[in-house]
Amino acid sequence: MSRPFLTGYCLLIYAFLLAPILVVVGASFNAGAFLTFPPQGLSFRWYVTFFNNEVFMRAIRTSLWVAFVTMIISGVIGTMAALFHVLHARRSKDVVRIAMLAPLLLPEVLTAISLLFFVYAIGIGTQNMVGMIIGHVLITLPFVFINVSASLESFDPSWDMAARSLGAPKLVRFRRIMLPMIKSGVIGGCLFAFIISFDIFTISFMLKGVGTSTLPIQLFDYLRTNFTPEAAAVSTVSIVLTLTVVIISEKVLGLRIHRF
Amino acid sequence: MSPGKTKGIGPYLLIAPAGLLLAIFLVLPYLNIGVMSFRVPGQGTPYGEGFTLVNYARFFADSFYIWQVVNTLWIGFLTTAICLVIGFPVAWQLTRPNMRFRGLAYGLVLSPLLVGIVIRSYGWTILLGNNGLINRTLTNMGLIDAPLPLMYNALGIIIALVHVFLPFMILPIMNGIQGIDPSLEAAARSLGASRATAFRRIVLPLSMPGIQAGCILVFVLSLSAYVTPSLIGGLKVKTMAVTVVDALIDTFQWPFGSALALMLSVTGAIIVVIFGRMTRMKWKVA
Repeated sequence: MSRPFLTGYCLLIYAFLLAPILVVVGASFNAGAFLTFPPQGLSFRWYVTFFNNEVFMRAIRTSLWVAFVTMIISGVIGTMAALFHVLHARRSKDVVRIAMLAPLLLPEVLTAISLLFFVYAIGIGTQNMVGMIIGHVLITLPFVFINVSASLESFDPSWDMAARSLGAPKLVRFRRIMLPMIKSGVIGGCLFAFIISFDIFTISFMLKGVGTSTLPIQLFDYLRTNFTPEAAAVSTVSIVLTLTVVIISEKVLGLRIHRF
Repeated sequence: MSPGKTKGIGPYLLIAPAGLLLAIFLVLPYLNIGVMSFRVPGQGTPYGEGFTLVNYARFFADSFYIWQVVNTLWIGFLTTAICLVIGFPVAWQLTRPNMRFRGLAYGLVLSPLLVGIVIRSYGWTILLGNNGLINRTLTNMGLIDAPLPLMYNALGIIIALVHVFLPFMILPIMNGIQGIDPSLEAAARSLGASRATAFRRIVLPLSMPGIQAGCILVFVLSLSAYVTPSLIGGLKVKTMAVTVVDALIDTFQWPFGSALALMLSVTGAIIVVIFGRMTRMKWKVA
């Protein structure tokens, strides 16, 4: 392929990738009740409707809460697992890695169904958010693991040995050498866990209880029966929330988040 | 890696929480769903006492379900093939050493991943619907009289699935191409190979692992996709994942739903294994 042709082709693909997202954002500012092109004028009325809709506002609060709890749990146990994987695992290295990535490799819908049956089998049920949060932790765990592992790969053990030969106790070595090394990996992994959890659908859909619908679930339920641009306003706010987290992590904290 | 390894159980405490979580809430549930598929269908309860093969018998006896599996596999195959064909040039361009605006382009490829799947599918319903942007614009321009059937069919599902999973094709291929030593291509060129030959004989075979990873990822993801087929296909076109989830949520047929879910997953897994074997063979020959 010649150069200009290839560039043009790639621009087309980027447009394809952005189109549905831009259309949603555009639709949220549309004044009319139905989406038309060209739009019938600019308006914030769908945002007003959305902010006055207690069902959606509760769903946003639920989503933020679930994502926060998920991030903390995933962050702690994912970091511990990554420390084990890089620093201590020898023969078990491949097994640990595959096991930690398993939730990503298995079809989410099957994981969700299995977990639904299981929480009923052991009596947790779906009356509260416990089952749903367990599911979210499973899905987000690989991302914390990947990020912390990646930041550890560049860790030079001779620094730790130098500190030890100078008489630094284990805890001091962890705090002064290990923690600064992995800090960006941990924060990056946690923020990504938050974003992923905020958008998880299938797990939440199967494991939601009464009144514990997250934002994606509420939006999906709404879209099955309604077509007003209120859904577009909800979506746009959700996109802005995610973008804020990304911009904070990449621009303010200067992190490079590993997605794979 | 670290020579200062500590002996004893200390390090194992690090892996214990994650290990226990995965063992209890991933391994056990998967074993449980296998057992569940052999349970007796319940009357008024999700499942009854005892074990039976009736759930699998019901699957194989009903061509409706078999066709649905075939249909789902076909949609997954087309989605994967289209992602590969349209994604490869993008991955290729993103790895060119002298590319301008690489950061921006990379961000554009990743951006869909940051937007929830419900929102992206909703975007496609706005574009593809009978009253959607595309149809209304074409009607207003006088190009068509009746709306084009873009939604509530396999075409719409595939368009949206390609969009949703394209980044999962581009990123592994990029990783694959980045791992190729550029001097190999330069050597082929200096030995008189044309650009096309160098690409076909050097770059393409060496990027096979990335292509393979991307294809498997997209295929598995499209088979288990629920939101996109559900919103775009509506009640008219259902993929297997939609049927399974609806069977469990709406009608509480746990044993039969488990059997359906496992049949789809096992078929998908077999295809992935065969695909893996085939591509590895080709890769060696090339």
